[in-house]
Amino acid sequence: MAKGTNDAKLLIQSLRKAYAATPTSLKIIDLYVVYAVATALIQVAYMAMVGSFPFNSFLSGVLSCVGTAVLAVCLRIQVNKDNKEFKDLPPERAFADFVLCNLVLHLVIMNFLG
Amino acid sequence: MAKQRPSLLLLLSLISLLLSPPPAFSFSDESPTARRILVLVDDLALRSSHSIFFDSLVSRGYQLEFKLADDPSLSLQRYGQFLYDGLVLFAPSVSRFGGSLDQSKVLEFVDAGHDLILAVDSNASDLVRGIATDSGADFDEDPEAVVIDHLSYAVSDADGDHTLIASDNLIKSNVILGDKAIEAPILFRGIGHSVNPANTLVLKALTASPSAYSANPKTKLSSPPSLTGSSISLVSVMQARNNARVLISGSLELFSNRFLRSSVQKAGSKTIYDKSGNEQFVTEAAKWVFHERGHLKAVNVKHNKVGETTEPGIYRINDDLEYSVEIYEWSGKSWEPYVADDVQVQFFMMSPYVLKTMSTNKKGLYSTSFKVPDVYGVFQFKVEYERLGYTSLSLAKQIPVRPFRHNEYERFIPAAFPYYAASFSTMGAFFIFSIVYLYHK
Repeated sequence: MAKGTNDAKLLIQSLRKAYAATPTSLKIIDLYVVYAVATALIQVAYMAMVGSFPFNSFLSGVLSCVGTAVLAVCLRIQVNKDNKEFKDLPPERAFADFVLCNLVLHLVIMNFLG
Repeated sequence: MAKQRPSLLLLLSLISLLLSPPPAFSFSDESPTARRILVLVDDLALRSSHSIFFDSLVSRGYQLEFKLADDPSLSLQRYGQFLYDGLVLFAPSVSRFGGSLDQSKVLEFVDAGHDLILAVDSNASDLVRGIATDSGADFDEDPEAVVIDHLSYAVSDADGDHTLIASDNLIKSNVILGDKAIEAPILFRGIGHSVNPANTLVLKALTASPSAYSANPKTKLSSPPSLTGSSISLVSVMQARNNARVLISGSLELFSNRFLRSSVQKAGSKTIYDKSGNEQFVTEAAKWVFHERGHLKAVNVKHNKVGETTEPGIYRINDDLEYSVEIYEWSGKSWEPYVADDVQVQFFMMSPYVLKTMSTNKKGLYSTSFKVPDVYGVFQFKVEYERLGYTSLSLAKQIPVRPFRHNEYERFIPAAFPYYAASFSTMGAFFIFSIVYLYHK
C-alpha cells in the first residue's frame, strides 16, 4: 500500500519535472486547450440542467470550444521541435494554417448560432 | 231546415278534411312544444273522468285526439311522417293495439324524439308493461300486486286495505316540478315499479315511503315482497339521449278528477289538506314532459383571437382567444335567455387541456377567454352540458393549432445566452492567444 502511494507520488513528481522542461510557447498552447475544453464542459453541464431547447445554439457553442481545442492541438503537434514528422515544416506556416482554420470555424459558428 | 242540414254537414266535413293535418303549430326545432297529442284510452268515459287534466292541456294550446286503444284505424305515421307529436297512453288493460300500432311502433315514436305519458293500474297488460320496460321502468312481475303502505296511506272511508297511499317523496327539481313547492301529499292507487340504479336516464319523480311494499292485498304474504320501501317508484320520468321525454305512472287514478279534487290526510298526521297535490303535480310534470320547460338550445358558437372579430381557420400556440355561445330556454311560447353559472367549455384533444366555466351576460350569451396551450395538434371546442331535467347540450367545433414559425421566435433566446457567451469568449481567447503566442519572449 505504502509502496503504491509512494510510486504515485514519484510518478507525479517526474511528470512535473518533465513538463517544466517544455518550452514556454507549448505551455501557452496547453493553457489555451485547457481553457477551451473547460468551457465546453461547462456548456454541457448547463445543457444537462436546463434541457437542450435551442439545440443549434448548444451545438455551435460546444463545437466552437471543441474546434479551437482541436486546432490548437494540431498547432502544438506541428510546432513541437521534438516531433520528427514535422521537422521540415516551418512554424510560421503552421501558425498561418491555424489562423485560417480558426477563421473558417468561427464563421460557421456565427452562422449556426441562430 | 231539415233540407239545409245535410248540405251544411257536407260543407263542414269538407272544411275539416281540408284543415287536416293541422298547420303551423306542429313540433319543430323552432317551437319544441309537442302540439298534436294522441290520447289512447280503454274506455271513452276516461275523457270525462279525467277531464280536469285534459282541459288543462287543451287550455295550453294542445290539440288532443281521443281514440280507443283497439281502434282499427290507429296509426302514428303516414308516409313516413308522424301524425302526432306526443302520445298519452291511458289504456292499461289493452292487450293489443288496433290498427298498425304495436310496442315497437311506440318505441319508434319515442326514438324519433316525441314524448310519451304512460299510466297503468292494477290490471296492466303485458303490452303496456313491455312499453314501460322499454323506457326503463320495470313493473312488479306479480300481476296481482299493488303498492300497499300501512304507515303512509291516505285516511279515507274507503277499503281500509291501505292501497290508497299519500306520498310526498318528490324529486327535488324545479325544472321538472315547477318553482312552487307542492305542499299537499299526492294520492296514488296502483302498482309500483323499480328503476335500475345504473340507468342514468331515468329519474324517480315520486317514490314510495320506506314503509311501502308491493304485494297482493287479498292474500296472505307467503314470502317477503320483492319490491319494498324507497326502491318502489310510483311515478318515473325518463329523458332519452335524443331528448324525448317519457313519464310512467303506476296509477291511472292519479290523473283522475276524483283524486285531483279530493282532500287528503296522511295517516298519522293531523293536517288535512283541502286539495291534494295531484293537480299541481300532473300539470307541472306534463309541462315538463311536453317540453314547455327545461328545453335548451345553443346557437351562435363564435371564437376569435382577442382583439379580432373574424374567426380564424387556425390558431398558433400561446395565442389568446375568446369563445362565446348563446343558450336559450324554451318557455312554452318563446325562447328566453338561459341563466346559469356552470356552463363549461373544454379545449379538447384526447383529453381537455383547458376547462373553463363561462360567464354570462344574463341575456343568454356565455363567453370566456383563455390562452391556447403549448401543444400543437387538432383541438375541439367542446361544450357538454347535462343537468337534471334539462335537455343535454353537446357542441363540438374543430380547430387546428400550429407551432411557431421559425421567424416567430424571439431574436435572441435567453436560454441560449451561455452558448452565445461561450462562442464569443472562444473567439476572444483565440485572438488573445495568437498575440501572446507571437510576441512572448
